[in-house]
Amino acid sequence: MRIPIIPLALTFLSVALMAQPILAQPNRREDRRNPMEGKPEAVEAGGQFFRAACSSCHGATGGGGRGPNIRDGRLVRRMSSEQLFDSIKTGVPGTEMPAFPIADEKIWAVVAFVRSLSAPAMEGNVPGDEAAGSAIFFGKGGCSGCHAVRGVGGSLGPDLSNAGIQRSIGQLRESVLDPSARPTEGFEAVDVVMKSGARISGVAKNYTNYAIQVLDRGGGLHLLEKKDVQEITLHRKSLMPGDYSTKLTPVELQNLLAYLSRQAMRNERRVQ
Amino acid sequence: MRTIACLMGLGAAVLSAQVRFEDIRKSPGNDWLTYGGDYGSRRHSPLRQINVGNVGSLVPKWTYHVETAKKLEATPLVYDGMMYFTNTNEVYALDARTGRRVWQYRDEQSVKQNVNRGVGLLGDRVFFVTADAHLVALHRKTGAVLWDKKYADSSKGYMATMAPLVLKDRVIVGVGGGDGGIRGFVVSFSVSTGEELWRFYTVPGKGEKGAETWSEFNADWGGGATWMTGTYDPELNLVYWPTGNPWPDYYGKDRRGDNLYSCSVVALDGDTGKLKWHFQFTPHDTHDWDAQSIPVLVDTEFRGKQRKLLLHPNRNGFFYVLDRVSGEFLNATPFIDKLTWASGIDAKGRPVELPDQTPTPTGVKVCPSVRGASNWMSPSYNPDTQLLYVPTLEQCDNVVTSTKMPEPGKGQAGGGGEQFPAEPGKFYMRAIDPKTGERRWEYPMTGPATMWAGTVSTAGGLLFFGDDDGQLVALDAKTGKHLWHYNMGQKLTASPMTFSLDGKQYVSIASATDMFTFGLFEAAVSVPVVKETVVP
Repeated sequence: MRIPIIPLALTFLSVALMAQPILAQPNRREDRRNPMEGKPEAVEAGGQFFRAACSSCHGATGGGGRGPNIRDGRLVRRMSSEQLFDSIKTGVPGTEMPAFPIADEKIWAVVAFVRSLSAPAMEGNVPGDEAAGSAIFFGKGGCSGCHAVRGVGGSLGPDLSNAGIQRSIGQLRESVLDPSARPTEGFEAVDVVMKSGARISGVAKNYTNYAIQVLDRGGGLHLLEKKDVQEITLHRKSLMPGDYSTKLTPVELQNLLAYLSRQAMRNERRVQ
Repeated sequence: MRTIACLMGLGAAVLSAQVRFEDIRKSPGNDWLTYGGDYGSRRHSPLRQINVGNVGSLVPKWTYHVETAKKLEATPLVYDGMMYFTNTNEVYALDARTGRRVWQYRDEQSVKQNVNRGVGLLGDRVFFVTADAHLVALHRKTGAVLWDKKYADSSKGYMATMAPLVLKDRVIVGVGGGDGGIRGFVVSFSVSTGEELWRFYTVPGKGEKGAETWSEFNADWGGGATWMTGTYDPELNLVYWPTGNPWPDYYGKDRRGDNLYSCSVVALDGDTGKLKWHFQFTPHDTHDWDAQSIPVLVDTEFRGKQRKLLLHPNRNGFFYVLDRVSGEFLNATPFIDKLTWASGIDAKGRPVELPDQTPTPTGVKVCPSVRGASNWMSPSYNPDTQLLYVPTLEQCDNVVTSTKMPEPGKGQAGGGGEQFPAEPGKFYMRAIDPKTGERRWEYPMTGPATMWAGTVSTAGGLLFFGDDDGQLVALDAKTGKHLWHYNMGQKLTASPMTFSLDGKQYVSIASATDMFTFGLFEAAVSVPVVKETVVP
């Protein structure tokens, strides 16, 4: 599935989830606690400041630009609230991130907003029937044809064994409903024609002007050098079907999200 | 999901091979399939394309930067064109020809952030340990996670750093945390299911053999951590695992006795985990001298008899030779000059200790230092020169002890060591003849005495190692003569290895934040831009 852009309209969902008990703990020091954490009005206020002051570098939805992407969670989830606070208050030495001389309360609100962008889906109790969602994943939905959970399933799409801690609920929802919205690194569909005439099709794990690494549908991994390649076709459209909004009923969709949001290798309470 | 409507023709070689136990038994060849190169951790490659005559034209081929890294300590494994290595809680799989990443796995839920020393391979699986002691199995080609097994409670001080040892159908790992009061163990799991097969505790429980060496000390705090990869003899089916210091490291009053099986090597049956024999290098250690230098297994003539030997340069300053079938002590010689705590090793392998070397609250000068004469940085053994190459530290420390028993589980070691500012440590690469313990040659290093880099030996007559100034160095293995070096620009904390792909030999080593790969110079070949069509 694609990691989607989170429309601002979806952030309310993350906000609502912040009040839920934390089930998964990413790598971050829990030192100085954010006094604004879990307060929807603070997230809203932080979002307003973010759009006014931060979006010029980090993008309107945090997707990055001149500054790094702070939306997909890779950067933010590893930082403690205190580290995020300090980055805003004093800037980040050696980078273009400036200090923001604003009230501490406002900084904490921005931290709460930034956290809300990438809050792991597992941190909230996503409603739905997890067992029914599992049945859809491995049955009607056909998801396991390309995605695996705990070693069961295909490999052309991202492994979803840790989907609940790697993705926000907004990302999961958009991945299912609009998989082509944003390409996932390492899963772009590709056709390669070799100078020998051989053809290889699958997903590009990586590619440069000099080499390309392709995982084919049979699970074969091809480590190719461009000097041996005649032609390459890259497909921006996801290999994943884009018709789940009609293929699944709203209840089925919610059940699937409930299932995916609880996938974490260390979650002992998941449906087997 | 929709099927891909396309032709599935075959181009270059498809990676579909499986790593077999038999393959690891033959390693290293073109590949490098286990942490120590082979099961005996000799770290000697039969590759000779890069040799004494041409190593001068060795150049960097590619560099892979690990954005999250601060101190990479892994030896990469290479199989079927792919390279696998770790950072803390992360595994990277690269195209070994180009250094381009194929996949990455990160454990987002680990609650610890210690260093990590690499992966194990078997079948289509890659194994590694998280810092908080979970053993994780990944798919070799995709990085998809297959199973995750918690094997120690990190809230009780356990952690994990070692590269797993994989043999037959099992994967064997150990634990760290011995400086804070844990009970060390070695544990074996099924490769396919993650089911625990056996567990051997390095500190005997109450009533068990060896418990009498602890004077009623609580076994749960005894230490004896197992934080480095063990070695294995497939013919004897014995796993040799080195063990760490007893706890509290520097305060020994409450644990009177030898404190078995700390500071030892234990020989365990590979199938059952039963103790076959043990040898303790430092009884009742109070200087934090873990026995974690990897046991190196060598078959050679010793005193007129062909023997299966276990070679071990210990942190306590003595180089030991044991019979690895029986555990019989054969010889021990000092491999450092600054050695103050013992006058020698007696006929039974026990140190003849000198007075006034036990740590005091105000401190006592002890040589070698707490870091030891050598540590976990890997030595290597070249069967052609019949020499063992050992990174060696000449240093003394002022070693202090606490005045009372520290609290377990709080990261307290009960004292510590510190070097004397006017007497800084110095590293040497030393070539030791295992038959006599004599030093055949040594190569002094400049630097701050802070490196943790090991060695690799090759049939090309070369010894590669990371030096104390952040340089990868190649010496003539016979003479110790300098032949080549490259300034990596960073502190080195890992051991190099070598492999061959498409008929070309490479040498790789991790620096603090990057994986470097070197090869012989070749003139660049122009690569035309390939026609690329993007379908929206």
